[in-house]
Amino acid sequence: MQWFKQLFTRGRRYDDLAISIKEHLEEKIEELMENGMSRESAERTARREFGNVTLIEEHSREIWGWPTLGSIWADVKFALRQLIHAPGFTATAVLTLSLGIAVNATMFSLVSAFLLPHLPGRNPQNVVVVSSVNPNQGDTNPVSAPNYLTWRADTRVFAGMAAVDEYRTASLTGQGQPESVNYAAVSPNYFNIFGVSPQLGRSFIAGEDQPGRDHVLILSHGLWEGRFGSDASIIGRKVRVDREDYLVVGVMGADFQLLGFTPQMWTPLVLSAADQIVAGRKQRFLYLFARLAPGVTLQQARAELTILAKRSQMDFPANERRWGAAVRALGDFLIHSFGIRTALAVLMTTVSFVLLIACANVAGLLLTRAAGRQKELAIRVSLGASRMRVVRQLLTEGLVIALLGGGVGLLLTYIGISLVRANLSFNEAISAVPVSLDIKVFLFVLGVSLVSATLSSLAPALKASHTDTNAGLKNESRTTSGGRSQSRLRAVLVGCEIALALFLLIGTSLLIRGIFLLDHQPLGFRTDHLLTGSVALDHTRYSDASHQLLFVRGLIRSLQQIPGVEDVAVASDLPATNPNTVPIQIEGEPKLPANEQRSALDAVVTADYLNAVGIPLLRGRTFTQRDDANAPRVVLVNDEFVRRYFERQDPLGKQIRPDKEGAASTWSEIVGVVSNVKSYSEETRVDPEVYESFLQRPVASFSLMLRSNVEPHSLIPALRHTIAKLDAELPLANVMSMDTVIKRQRNGNPLFIRLLGTFALLALILAAIGIYGLIAYSVSQRTHEIGIRIALGAGRSDILWMILRQGLRMAAIGSALGVAIALPLPKLFDSIFQGLHFGAPGLYVVVLAAILMVTIFATYVPARRATYVDPNAALRDQ
Amino acid sequence: MAKNPEHRDLFSGALELMILHSLRLKPMHGYALAKHIKLVSDDLLQIEEGSLYPALQRMLKEGSLESEPGLSAKGRPTRIYRLTDAGIRRLEYEVSSFEKMLSGITRVLAVAEA
Repeated sequence: MQWFKQLFTRGRRYDDLAISIKEHLEEKIEELMENGMSRESAERTARREFGNVTLIEEHSREIWGWPTLGSIWADVKFALRQLIHAPGFTATAVLTLSLGIAVNATMFSLVSAFLLPHLPGRNPQNVVVVSSVNPNQGDTNPVSAPNYLTWRADTRVFAGMAAVDEYRTASLTGQGQPESVNYAAVSPNYFNIFGVSPQLGRSFIAGEDQPGRDHVLILSHGLWEGRFGSDASIIGRKVRVDREDYLVVGVMGADFQLLGFTPQMWTPLVLSAADQIVAGRKQRFLYLFARLAPGVTLQQARAELTILAKRSQMDFPANERRWGAAVRALGDFLIHSFGIRTALAVLMTTVSFVLLIACANVAGLLLTRAAGRQKELAIRVSLGASRMRVVRQLLTEGLVIALLGGGVGLLLTYIGISLVRANLSFNEAISAVPVSLDIKVFLFVLGVSLVSATLSSLAPALKASHTDTNAGLKNESRTTSGGRSQSRLRAVLVGCEIALALFLLIGTSLLIRGIFLLDHQPLGFRTDHLLTGSVALDHTRYSDASHQLLFVRGLIRSLQQIPGVEDVAVASDLPATNPNTVPIQIEGEPKLPANEQRSALDAVVTADYLNAVGIPLLRGRTFTQRDDANAPRVVLVNDEFVRRYFERQDPLGKQIRPDKEGAASTWSEIVGVVSNVKSYSEETRVDPEVYESFLQRPVASFSLMLRSNVEPHSLIPALRHTIAKLDAELPLANVMSMDTVIKRQRNGNPLFIRLLGTFALLALILAAIGIYGLIAYSVSQRTHEIGIRIALGAGRSDILWMILRQGLRMAAIGSALGVAIALPLPKLFDSIFQGLHFGAPGLYVVVLAAILMVTIFATYVPARRATYVDPNAALRDQ
Repeated sequence: MAKNPEHRDLFSGALELMILHSLRLKPMHGYALAKHIKLVSDDLLQIEEGSLYPALQRMLKEGSLESEPGLSAKGRPTRIYRLTDAGIRRLEYEVSSFEKMLSGITRVLAVAEA
């Protein structure tokens, strides 16, 4: 610990030394002057008898072990000169490191953009999010309106609280095509909580959340640019939203971004009386943002909210049982609710392995170089260089290489980030996140370069510090005992590289295979030639069931007229898109408590749904035009429903009652059983599902499906035209083929796979380079031995086989190790990615075969060179 | 380092030995130490005054010495060097090792020509 203490006293030590020496000279000069010398000659004499003051001071400082700036610079210059004189080595080392650093930095830029998001506004660390917690449903649930109002009134820890209803959609009409936009309804003080003001115009003011004053609008920067052409005069103009006039009062700047929330505009949140009564407690839809009062900590806020939530629990036990409250810092909440951590963790781990392999390669290269410089190092040591100095010089060289690698890596990172950014467009929320080469990435590159420098040059530097001076000075190029241990170390390094590469390859192949199979799993219906779109019938014009039905009937009739259309259907949700779950009561069964009730997915569909979507009917019949509001209620169930709840008895004729919120529940008769459809295209589960007839229970917001015998996208203009003819102000959203819908649901999976594949390939290439380097060097060291063998009669193929065997042996050991550490991977992945199964023993064999081929190839090239050794030259060359 | 070709180089460790012993007698500052050694050795040892300082720093680093603020003979502030307990032990060790070496050499030289 001495040296640690000494580190901090360094400045003082140097000062003390300077004082001592200065005073020494002054005293001497004064004494000499007292003896009659002039000042001038006294100074000269004193200095002469002292010795070279500067040099002595420098030597004294060096005792403490800290390098002077001059000696560091000398080391750097020397290292650069050495590196320039060995371009092959330098290029290989720098390129290898730069690749490793670049992939790490690119992934880090993703990680830092998502896990260290830029938070908008003033002092964002004081902004928190209040959410509802339920043991069964996690802790980032929104809050109900009554709770919001109560807590806002009772809280003392917040300087302000605002509520947001985030996921609303509305139609913007007038000025171009009707467009469906996402928007959020917010409390008037919402933007004040963050401390941001609109770029143009003003924010909402108090009182605008009352009916009559609430038809004001703030546009997002994106919407302002996209739909309104960045026209500054939009402020004060009226815009038609859901067939009503709204006044535009402001435009937000482009930097107001919250991860995962992408509203295109904001309106004031009006909480009606209906929202505030007891029944409103079941609707949890508000996200609460609050700013901590000065001096209040997160813990204090948490404590208070827990108390408030308990109070709600006691006051309204029916609705609030088991519901608590959680308070999270803004950044924490956003990351948590975004759910991208697992994928990023996997990617980051993978690239760290790639970096390790790269460092191992560079370490091997440095070891080789060190071996070649044994003589030079021995001379330096014998001329008086301390071992510390020698080690320092080697470390400097490693550092220079690493910094060069970092520099090139920075360039490659820039390219990498551009590539990644171009591929992020699969998801709006994700592509809204700025991924760029910012200061954090730059610092990361610096840090990683330093770490690589340490890792790579540690082994060679330590070895060099134990240079056997005598052996080095003797004129021997045959492997000395030092050389043998060095080549053993290199073999160990390459063996580890192979193990790491194998581990990485197995891991990535398992993931790639698993995700690919998931992305392409059979869904239970025909996804081809199916055009879809979504429609939301607004309340103004379609106020009740009869209006909605009228429209839908007319719509289906018109759509059927379009040439190329075979079947038309309307449903509350598209298949395999995670429809809602509702509790089900089965006739004859006792009523179960709330959390044990039977449940099923619920969709409302028109008569032609099964045909249009291509779901086989297994038993009974489908809906007809006669299953309307006046007829007895009927439902269809899927095979899984029968399997789970009827245990293979015939369900036809049995009565069930789906308990949907906000609608009267009636007993319905099961009239048909349909084949299973996956609940969500990106999950393997199949849930029990109930289909209700649209004519009996219409919904205002639904999806259209057109089965066509032509390319689905060619029907889009006709589709739009038909809708416009029926209602010119009704926007049609999400118009795309079913195949596109499924593709979108894959989200980032394809990118994830591509990244993993790239890294695996990179690791394989780096390992191959490592093997090649080792074998090539070994061959060059064994030239003498090979020459003897050839002279003694060994044939070409014998030599070839000898070298090949060396490579294969190393690969075998590395592979065995790699397979061993890769064994727990399938189980690990199974637990991380719920619902998927990653076991694939065949993959292990494939990967091993790949490593084998790569080893053979990497070994073959130098082995072949070895067979051309001229025995005469080899024997002569000492 | 010898200035006068008639005087030998000191063996390594000799300087440290003498510094430790001198400072044990009395803690001194740099110039006083240099004068003391020159005086007491009657000029038989020619040491470059400056060479004291690296040695002093080395012993400071090892912990054999410690330095404290004090005044020079002229009343100006400078550093005074004194022995630590570790330094005393070090001195005793060096002295005994030197005496062994000396007696060894003496014995070899005492063998008269046959």
